[in-house]
Amino acid sequence: MSARKLVAGLGACAVLLAGCGGSAPSGAAGAAAGRDHGPVKIGALHPVSGANAVDGQQMRRGAQLAVEAINAAGGIKSLGGRKVELAEGDTQGKAEVGQSEAQRLISEGAVGLVGTYQSAVSTNVAVVAERNRVPFVMDVTASDAIFAHGYRYAFRVQPGSEAISAAAAAYLKEVSEKAGKPVRKVAFLHEQTDFGSGAAEAFSKAAAKLGIQMGPNISYDAVTTSDLTAQITQVKASGANVLAVAGYYRDSLLAAKAINAVKPNLDAVWGVSNGAYDQPKFVTDAGALGERYFSTNYHYDAKNDQTTKLRADYQRRFGAPMRTGAVLAYDAVQVIAQAVDRAGGTDAEKVREAISASQVTPLAVGRGPIRFAANGDNRNALPVLMQIQGGQVKQVYPAEKAESQPNYSVTWRP
Amino acid sequence: MSNIGNQKGAALAPDAEAPGAASPRGKAPHPLRAALGGGGNAAILKRVAIIGGALVIAIAVALLKSGSGLVVWQSVVTGLLMGGLYGLIAMGLTLIFGVLDIVNFAHGALLAVAMFIAFGVVQGTGLHPYLTLLVAVPALFLIGGVVHRGLLSGTGGGSLENQLLITLGLSLLLENGLLMFFGAEPKTVTLPGDFQFGLFGAVVTGARLYAFVGALLLGALLFWLLRRTRFGTAIRAVAANGPGAELVGINVRRIHTLTFAIGTACAGAAAVLAAPLITVTPTLGEQFNITAFVVVVLGGMGNVGGALVGGLLIGLVEQLTTIYMDGQSSLLGVFVVFVVVLFLRPQGLFGRRA
Repeated sequence: MSARKLVAGLGACAVLLAGCGGSAPSGAAGAAAGRDHGPVKIGALHPVSGANAVDGQQMRRGAQLAVEAINAAGGIKSLGGRKVELAEGDTQGKAEVGQSEAQRLISEGAVGLVGTYQSAVSTNVAVVAERNRVPFVMDVTASDAIFAHGYRYAFRVQPGSEAISAAAAAYLKEVSEKAGKPVRKVAFLHEQTDFGSGAAEAFSKAAAKLGIQMGPNISYDAVTTSDLTAQITQVKASGANVLAVAGYYRDSLLAAKAINAVKPNLDAVWGVSNGAYDQPKFVTDAGALGERYFSTNYHYDAKNDQTTKLRADYQRRFGAPMRTGAVLAYDAVQVIAQAVDRAGGTDAEKVREAISASQVTPLAVGRGPIRFAANGDNRNALPVLMQIQGGQVKQVYPAEKAESQPNYSVTWRP
Repeated sequence: MSNIGNQKGAALAPDAEAPGAASPRGKAPHPLRAALGGGGNAAILKRVAIIGGALVIAIAVALLKSGSGLVVWQSVVTGLLMGGLYGLIAMGLTLIFGVLDIVNFAHGALLAVAMFIAFGVVQGTGLHPYLTLLVAVPALFLIGGVVHRGLLSGTGGGSLENQLLITLGLSLLLENGLLMFFGAEPKTVTLPGDFQFGLFGAVVTGARLYAFVGALLLGALLFWLLRRTRFGTAIRAVAANGPGAELVGINVRRIHTLTFAIGTACAGAAAVLAAPLITVTPTLGEQFNITAFVVVVLGGMGNVGGALVGGLLIGLVEQLTTIYMDGQSSLLGVFVVFVVVLFLRPQGLFGRRA
């Protein structure tokens, strides 16, 4: 009996070892084999199931629309009109799943990857992309840490967390001064992981340079919190005249409810990379509570006709408004496809070179065409200030991207 | 306190409610003490006094730290209001643990199910959110009964490991089922005619007050059920000594199923009361699961009254932590208190010694 067990155990070990040993070469071979004929494959990694499934599905559809637009315009022209195909992967919102899905898409012959909506997942996928020498163009990924490693194959379309926070501080100073109610002291309410604390830290740094006083800096646990009244009371007691909020959707909604209950003496509520205050869903859920809230974030360009057309198309086909993440996924796919076109082939190294020299006109807000800095970050990414006005999210600042004028005030004070 | 199964403490081992750090050692068992729940009123009062004293000191230090009476007062009010809800959620959990010895990891997921029932009914029929109690509580009672009969009462649910795996698996199943049917989009239940008022400067919203009062009422109802009815006596008998209860003619399996069902029904009631306060998502169970387990252990496993007190305590600690430790998770303070209590009184504040 024990002998049989031993044999079975050894057998299992042998199978496992063979499996592990064999996977790397087969992946590499697959990559070479899959790229040269058939459609050009672009990998899309998004959390299509799990807690972030709604955003994940949005982004996958955004990428799909980009592929359809490219094919409708005649495919990759320098390759004789070769079609583009989206190779889809589901990260389930988990870093380790994202990693294995990235590996799968690469071995299926993807020339580049787009994704992933979550910084933790992107961090792992970037490692896989780097190891396999396949370009990874991030659509939504807030964390700046990925770009500190000197990766050669990591690129990003959206403005990073630090850029958004710095812009939020600068916009606050300019808008408040124009309104004749200069910002004096900013209280910062943020969730306590990298996302919220990072935003608070970068904002404080930028604010200090602009001569804005900060305090108090209040954090909370986004997973377990179910009431923020005491925190907002703390803001009220501190005498700050602006409250900056960096949080996810659920907790930012709680903050709005608490602000409505406590009614602190603020001149403005200022979302920084906020997960709620520029979402149409927040307007529906919070109703009048959210009116006149500001939010500095990345955004689809509401003043670009092409963006408007794309979003109308999305709305017609999928019956839901297209979110910014989906527009960024669209942009990211365009970056890879246009790079393949200019590289004149699917050789990963040439595609990488072409991406790093990109000049792609984005449908999200930008200073100009998408161009990557040496570390892979988009040099022309531009955070935009939005405000909820009359139950609609409007771009209000800077002036060239503004749909309407900022109304620097809150509803509960004259 | 209503220690379930404290007959064991009283009748089988008179001094089982033995002194922890807070109660005097070597006190002779008194008949009245046995009748009141094995712990003795004096000992419990003393413990309550010590906890109260510690809280007063904690609040005073918070006052010094923040320098604003309003902030601390608001924290205390919010903490107590939240704590009532925590207590209510933990009551069902502790009941199930005390009687069945099952650590129900699916409690949070069942809470989520109840919230989606409330959400669905409000959406579908336009009923007042609190009237969905009439749907959600019976529904959760039935679900609880079915889960116990179907999954846990058989031989499969016999061992502790199996129970853990079954309830954990069930929670995954329920969460993902909700995700499939309702999608990941967060939902809100709005309370029509919600109001707010100032309480010596602190803000109290109507929905939170209702949830708090509801928690106290349900706690009292549960207490009455366990203490003053034949059915409650049977539950306590089963908890104290299963074979003994069987010998005097109690159908133990039936009591087990009903207790499990009552426990999940408590989650149903808590869910309806909490629904207008939070955003309804399939994974909201996680949000309360950790806190609920801490409350259960803190209040003494299986002690319904202890769960309520533990809930209030944790609610307060959570809020005070944010004053004490700027930029730290409120869970940090909760676990500091948790560890200290476990160190001084491993059986929980109001628990009997194992």
